[in-house]
Amino acid sequence: MIAVRARLDGVVRRFGSVEALAGASLEVRAGEVHALLGENGAGKSTLLSILGGMLRPDAGTIEVGGRQVALASPRVAWALGIGLVHQHFTLVPPLTVLENLALGRRLQPARLGRTLTRLRAEAERLVQRTGLDVRLDARVEQLAVGERQRVEILKVLLRDPSVLVLDEPTASLAPAEVASLFELLRGLAAEGRAIVLVAHKIDEVLAVADRVTILRAGRTTFSDVRSKVDAASLVRAMVGESVTDVAAAVGVVVVASGSARAAAVGVGVGASVTVDDAARRRPGGLVATLADVRMHASVGRPALEGVTLEVRRGEIVGIAGVQGNGQRELARVLSGRSLPDSGSVQLPAGVGFIPQDRTLEGLIGDFDLAENVALALHADPRFTGPAALRWDAVRAEAERVRTRFSIVASGTKAPAYALSGGNRQRLVIGRELLVASDLLVAEDPTRGLDVAATAFVHDQLRRATETSEGPGVVLISGDLDEVLALSDRLLVVSRGRLTPVPENARTREGVGALMLGDSSAAA
Amino acid sequence: MPRPDRFRLGAGWVGAGAVAATGAVSALLLIVGGYDPFEAAGAALGGAFGSADAFLSVTLVRSIPLMLTGLAVAFAFRAGVWNIGAEGQLLAGAIAAAWVGLVGRALPAWLLLPMLLALAAFAGALWALVPALMKVRLGVGEVITTLLMSFVAIELTAFVVRGPLQEPRGVFPQTEAIAAGARLPALVPGTRLHLGVVLAVVAAVAVAWLFRQTKLGFRMRAVGASPEAARMAGKIDTGPVTLVAFLGSGALAGLAGGVQVAGVTYALYEGYSPGWGYTAIAVALLAALDPLWVLATALLFGALEAGAAAMQRDAGIPAVWAVAVQALLILAVLALDQMRRRANAGSAGV
Repeated sequence: MIAVRARLDGVVRRFGSVEALAGASLEVRAGEVHALLGENGAGKSTLLSILGGMLRPDAGTIEVGGRQVALASPRVAWALGIGLVHQHFTLVPPLTVLENLALGRRLQPARLGRTLTRLRAEAERLVQRTGLDVRLDARVEQLAVGERQRVEILKVLLRDPSVLVLDEPTASLAPAEVASLFELLRGLAAEGRAIVLVAHKIDEVLAVADRVTILRAGRTTFSDVRSKVDAASLVRAMVGESVTDVAAAVGVVVVASGSARAAAVGVGVGASVTVDDAARRRPGGLVATLADVRMHASVGRPALEGVTLEVRRGEIVGIAGVQGNGQRELARVLSGRSLPDSGSVQLPAGVGFIPQDRTLEGLIGDFDLAENVALALHADPRFTGPAALRWDAVRAEAERVRTRFSIVASGTKAPAYALSGGNRQRLVIGRELLVASDLLVAEDPTRGLDVAATAFVHDQLRRATETSEGPGVVLISGDLDEVLALSDRLLVVSRGRLTPVPENARTREGVGALMLGDSSAAA
Repeated sequence: MPRPDRFRLGAGWVGAGAVAATGAVSALLLIVGGYDPFEAAGAALGGAFGSADAFLSVTLVRSIPLMLTGLAVAFAFRAGVWNIGAEGQLLAGAIAAAWVGLVGRALPAWLLLPMLLALAAFAGALWALVPALMKVRLGVGEVITTLLMSFVAIELTAFVVRGPLQEPRGVFPQTEAIAAGARLPALVPGTRLHLGVVLAVVAAVAVAWLFRQTKLGFRMRAVGASPEAARMAGKIDTGPVTLVAFLGSGALAGLAGGVQVAGVTYALYEGYSPGWGYTAIAVALLAALDPLWVLATALLFGALEAGAAAMQRDAGIPAVWAVAVQALLILAVLALDQMRRRANAGSAGV
């Protein structure tokens, strides 16, 4: 008989007006490796946090070991045998591995030596049994990422959990490390534990999982054993049945924007299923070129590798990808904010940049509208004298942005912190369009915006590229519907590399598979 | 003219609130100590503002080093550089000024005085250069480095007044009086008020203009308000801006040291600064880092010192009471500023 270790049913969790989970369920059994899959924002991490006792659900039931429980705190979850390995490491770098293992235990200073000795014996036994390769006396700061993760796992295993939960354990690992992690997980499952892991990559899921559960928009849409699934069916379950979904998603844009071109896109979707309007448009001259660009990351593999890209006037180049695959670095290199480690970058003079985080990177809350507009104009000779800024000219420009983009504010002296999210994005876009005479780089420009604000942003991007004299636009986004609907040309960024999406793969499944690094599903 | 509304309004509230709270608490302290707060206040006000001479020769003269160091602190803080070493930069300026004033006896006043002030400012900037480079090149936090550089400057002062610059008899840890031509002329005849107050006002107006009108000042404010947004939205290279903030701040503090040597003490001695560079932090924070308000808050602190001396003399209240009041004022500013931030963060709805 297979024992159900934990069961979550009909779990709902809201953050403000956003419903992160809208009826998710998960059933974890003893002795299995259970993979949890889903797009960005599908609710995977929220679900794990609920299982780990860090968040409380607004509705739904949780059973552990056959009894209904309330996981009121991480401590309660611990006591019930649920051990969570965090995505971000929680180790203290200057301490040794053994000292890190001792953290979070009840320590009596007088008996520290004895406690450490006992802990060492325990840890050594565990290391021997599981084959976890960990040096107990090394300082954590000396360890590679893969080894740090093994320390995290060891730390959790010392408490002998019956359910081991790992949030994206392979995110920063090299392939060889991934293989040995999977071997370890299989061994732990064989001991009768239940293993739950969140993964992004289909091939990895297929390699290790006994059972797969898929979340989509906060709901569990699929759950079955490994033997009954393949890559194609998983991608389908993740992104949804394409025809109706894409049409619905694009339909929202069409209705809200009211531009003739957008309507053409909508019709195209309805008629031919794939979104394909590249042929209609004739891009202008080359404005930006990246050739063989490489950029390091703080840990693990390079953030960008062998990236080559050409951008022409009047075209929207869409770049889709799962977060953390090099988008940020690409956006910064393309907008001239960062220099790559190697490779050549040719950028035009008039570059606008819409950064992903408007509140932190796009605007200064304490500055008023004019001062925020000045962020883009302070180096422009038209707005500066020898030393002074021409504040009257800057303020006039800010007023024009405010009226043209219907920014709801008392005037150009209103501070940016007083603006709503949508109005902040209008301000950023309005400002960047002032300077983006040649190139506009937009990074997740509609993240966190409601339907109307999203439509506004899409409309602005389309209008900017209406003629072949307009700027080239690079739209970097994790939102598949957005890039499919707007892009003239579409590429996927995965593990720091750019791959053009072939015309016949311009569908949710095709692009989705490429985003997950599965090239076979796209062909 | 660009004015961040919240900064101004909220900051004014902090200043007024801090002064009121400090007044109330210190009155309470006086009552507990068995003194009559009204008599004390009368003596203090008389000592600080009671006569033209009290105001010009005592209060205003004591305010001048606080004005210049307060400006130095505000200059750095506005750009997000937490220079808490104005004390050391002031001493570096004072050493340079004393040296120029001693060795330049042969030079005419029109040359000697400007040279003294320029070298004082230069020495202050130089003293700030070390933590500046450590910050920009190596990422070392400036709070520690600027503070530690102050201790070095204190010891350096002690060394030069016992060694190379000691008075000829070699008895006291101090220098000889500087040349007459190196001294700042009196502004109002018959008082001790010197030209330094004009320099401080000019410096304040210049810094205010820099922040409000110029490209450099805008970049400094942007980097100070949000380094991320300055880099990403403003495409500002934060390194050079940070360097300017350090050097400008050091120069203003160094100038304070030079002005004090050339305008008040005419000599350098061991234990030269009573902590101007540290009080300056309170002066700048109370002024919400606004250069023109720094003049007013420095005057308040100057009056407090002048008033404390008078209270001791006329009402028998120990002068250390002024130190307690200053400390209370600083605590009140920090607490109220934090409350303001929280309130604003709540209302911003981010």
